[in-house]
Amino acid sequence: MPESAANKLILNGQLEANPWRLYQPDPASGCALPPDAPGWMIELSLWKELLHAQPERKCPVGIVMPSDGDCNDLILEAEALRARKDVAFIAIHFLQYGDGRGYSLAWMLRQEYGWSGELRAVGDVLIDTVHYLARCGFTGFVMKQGHDPELALESLRAFSGHYQPGYANPVV
Amino acid sequence: MYHYDELDQTLIEQRVTQFRSQTRRFLDGRLSEDDFRVLRLQNGLYIQRHSPMLRVAIPYGMLASYQLRKLAEIARRWDKGYGHFTTRQNIQFNWPKLEDVPDILAELATVQMHAIQTSGNCIRNTTTDHLAGVAADEVINPLIWCEIIRQWSVLHPEFAFLPRKFKIAVSGAATDRAAVGVHDIGLQAMEQDGEVGFRVWVGGGLGRTPLVGHSIKPFVRWQDLLTYLQAVLRIYNLHGRRDNKYKARIKILVKDLTPEVFAQEVEALWQRIKDGPDTITQTQLQRIAHLFTWPEYEALEDEPAGSPAASNREFARWLRSNVHRHKQPGYAAVSVSLKATGPAPGDITAEQMECVAELADRYSFGDLRVSHEQNLVLADVRQRDLFALWQALDEAGLATPNIGLLTNIVSCPGGDYCSLANAASIPVARAIQQQFDDLDYLHDIGPLDLNISGCMNACSHHHIGHIGILGVDKNGQEWYQVTLGGRQNGAYQGPEGRVGAGGALLGRVIGPAFARAQIPEVVQKLVTTYLQLRDSENEHFIDVVERLGIEPFKQAVYAKHADSVHQKAKEMAHA
Repeated sequence: MPESAANKLILNGQLEANPWRLYQPDPASGCALPPDAPGWMIELSLWKELLHAQPERKCPVGIVMPSDGDCNDLILEAEALRARKDVAFIAIHFLQYGDGRGYSLAWMLRQEYGWSGELRAVGDVLIDTVHYLARCGFTGFVMKQGHDPELALESLRAFSGHYQPGYANPVV
Repeated sequence: MYHYDELDQTLIEQRVTQFRSQTRRFLDGRLSEDDFRVLRLQNGLYIQRHSPMLRVAIPYGMLASYQLRKLAEIARRWDKGYGHFTTRQNIQFNWPKLEDVPDILAELATVQMHAIQTSGNCIRNTTTDHLAGVAADEVINPLIWCEIIRQWSVLHPEFAFLPRKFKIAVSGAATDRAAVGVHDIGLQAMEQDGEVGFRVWVGGGLGRTPLVGHSIKPFVRWQDLLTYLQAVLRIYNLHGRRDNKYKARIKILVKDLTPEVFAQEVEALWQRIKDGPDTITQTQLQRIAHLFTWPEYEALEDEPAGSPAASNREFARWLRSNVHRHKQPGYAAVSVSLKATGPAPGDITAEQMECVAELADRYSFGDLRVSHEQNLVLADVRQRDLFALWQALDEAGLATPNIGLLTNIVSCPGGDYCSLANAASIPVARAIQQQFDDLDYLHDIGPLDLNISGCMNACSHHHIGHIGILGVDKNGQEWYQVTLGGRQNGAYQGPEGRVGAGGALLGRVIGPAFARAQIPEVVQKLVTTYLQLRDSENEHFIDVVERLGIEPFKQAVYAKHADSVHQKAKEMAHA
């Protein structure tokens, strides 16, 4: 059995284990939010609820935005969000790697909203797209099945120079 | 001509390495068909009817002789000895093997060429006036701006996956020869109060839903060009439709929002990013300008009209249609016609490529251009060399005197090659060329744009042909719809009245479609009608259509000869 790509995380140019998983609310058990335990990612739509329902939360969550998400739904200002102990990172979920909205959203999170924490790409993330993603401000990547994280790490270095000064160089 | 610096060269070499690894992963089964499709398209590689098709970028149509020789070598080694120039000023090879493509790209990189973003849902090759830099009516030389846009758009990280393809055209002359009105973004370079800037047109495009662009910003200062483009592209990237590929072009977004609202959204976003890091500085502009070489013209006088032309009618005819005025006294620009009767419009053999490369070296500073009408242009020829050049071109079958005339047909590869096409276009072009093979008659008819597309994707821009022909499929048979009155420029009515630059007009369908065999006769009737109705030789075909509308033409084609045309149509339908 090949090791699942989802078990690995590329973070700031390093490969590490990925303990993070997406919380699936279970309406039947009346459980809308993840327990105060490490490693949970939640959809952006749950964030407002979590903010109110778990004010004393110890274990940080990752907030997963859809590619057509809106920065306003993060409710707090970027600095206030960054200062919180209960937020580990923001992720953008790609349903399809060709959904370019996620790239503009990342740029806006960085440049307009002002998010300076970790920005992670999850979902349909390819060896072939991480370079572009990194330049739009992503610092973390969880690869799609079949896309070797080692090769993805290499592909961050695919291009040594760029034409667009307003975009970051990949962290490698 | 722009010459690469180290960054340019490194980048295309690294792109070759990247594509080589993607191709290997695909061939090894480590990259799925679906995942590879978008990646190969972004490198100009289609899977076509017979084999893959590789489209090589010719940025804004500028080509050096050594690059054309390399294209000839590629045509011989990996294709069947020819190439096809496209309406986006690129070249296509129709027969390479997928596994050879990385090697082809590596060869191209040795002469500063690539296939980056020649297809796919990204920013495509920027096009411009094929007489850029030499046209007598030029206000601003657009070439440096095209290069700035090229660099900005190549491997742009934010705009690699747009809702649909995106095409930018730049014009800097009084007469718009770049068709800025039918592009996703059309830029018309101009000068205002001593400052260079651009009028910005957005939302033009042909295809299934032909629309002409709207001028959403009358003047953007040159420093702000890229941040303004960034604002337009970001609004499109975020809000363009992704649920239906036929409604995904920016023209649909502009239409749905209305041009006014779209312009406001762009303006609001632009105000937030204006003066940001993508602002063009004087230093940057100079750096790019210095990488261009320009022809070192001799101080010459214009040659007196007459001499060899007086004694040679064929040469005189060629001078009239294929030679264009030049800003520099004693020089002229020459169109090398790729529209001889026989080969597909825009096709060129490896031998012809080498011949043109040689002539470019001998007569035109080693540079040439590809026009969006699928011809080549030697832009800087001494007038006193014209006769010798004509003789050499004539010998190579490249001196058909038909530029701007009816047989200078713009045509896509059509159903013979393209898997999207509904109908053939090349044989139709050939039949029309045969119908109008009398050169005196052709010249008497005067300027006339005729465009043929094999399907509604409109790669040959039939909507903006004075006569447009569109192949359609009816119950599995090829039929052809005819439009009249389209134009690629000169239609824009500003507050100051009609201005030569900018503004396209879409042709109107004249009636029911025709069978393939009827098309030459239909075109003949349109032309005869025009000749009967024009008030003088100076009133061109398009002027008469504009003055009298399509009605007299329609009558000539359908009513008066109803028996012959309709009878034939019926016979064909039941054949």
